[in-house]
Amino acid sequence: MTSSTKNLARVRDFVGKRAAESGFDESTINQIILSVDEACTNIIKHAHRYDENETIEIETSFENGQFKIVLNYKGKSFDPNGIENPDMKEYFSSFKVGGLGVPIMKKFMSKIEFDRKNSNTNCLTLIKIIHS
Amino acid sequence: MEEFSISIRQHEDIVLLDLNGFLDAHTSVELEKKFEELIARNCNKIVVNFQKLSYISSAGLGVFMAFIENARNNSGDIKLCNMSDKIYNIFDMLGFPILFEIYKEEKSALEKFA
Repeated sequence: MTSSTKNLARVRDFVGKRAAESGFDESTINQIILSVDEACTNIIKHAHRYDENETIEIETSFENGQFKIVLNYKGKSFDPNGIENPDMKEYFSSFKVGGLGVPIMKKFMSKIEFDRKNSNTNCLTLIKIIHS
Repeated sequence: MEEFSISIRQHEDIVLLDLNGFLDAHTSVELEKKFEELIARNCNKIVVNFQKLSYISSAGLGVFMAFIENARNNSGDIKLCNMSDKIYNIFDMLGFPILFEIYKEEKSALEKFA
């Protein structure tokens, strides 16, 4: 997709359908949708700085009880695993804004993997394990 | 595909915002502008009704964080009401009830301004 917040609704729709086909319940599907939205928003904002000439390639797969959403994109790297969750008491007492996308992803996804393929290509994988 | 819209109502000196649709990094800009307009007009008592909001991401949450301090510093507040369980769970999971007053019914939110 073109790297634009205009396309977030389409991404949510796509990921929601793929997650439903994989057998997740509605609540888990909503968590996956929100996590992918947060990941794409971070890429659009931080890696691409709202440059609509950039793209994000999204692939999903479901194998061995693992639903994977792979986001391939160019630009500045962004590894959610390297970002610490904010202290929410401090966050609220100082009226902070932003920085909640990564905590949401970490809370809702089973695993997050990040790989910088070469000097300018990144691969962010969000994984949700289905519990039978 | 579902859109986002905001309707405005007035109850005495309180402004009520009815949110409709989905609130994400794209549509949150519209809500941000609405808050800017209200604060510029010195409307600091605000109730946000979530009854018709079907989705929120952290970009939407950020709008409330950006304006609540200003509202409170001007003898007002931003009170939230009528959230579905799906929306409330996001606010709750991140601890927003520490800072924000969230009511099940609009009536209760309005009464708290009295």
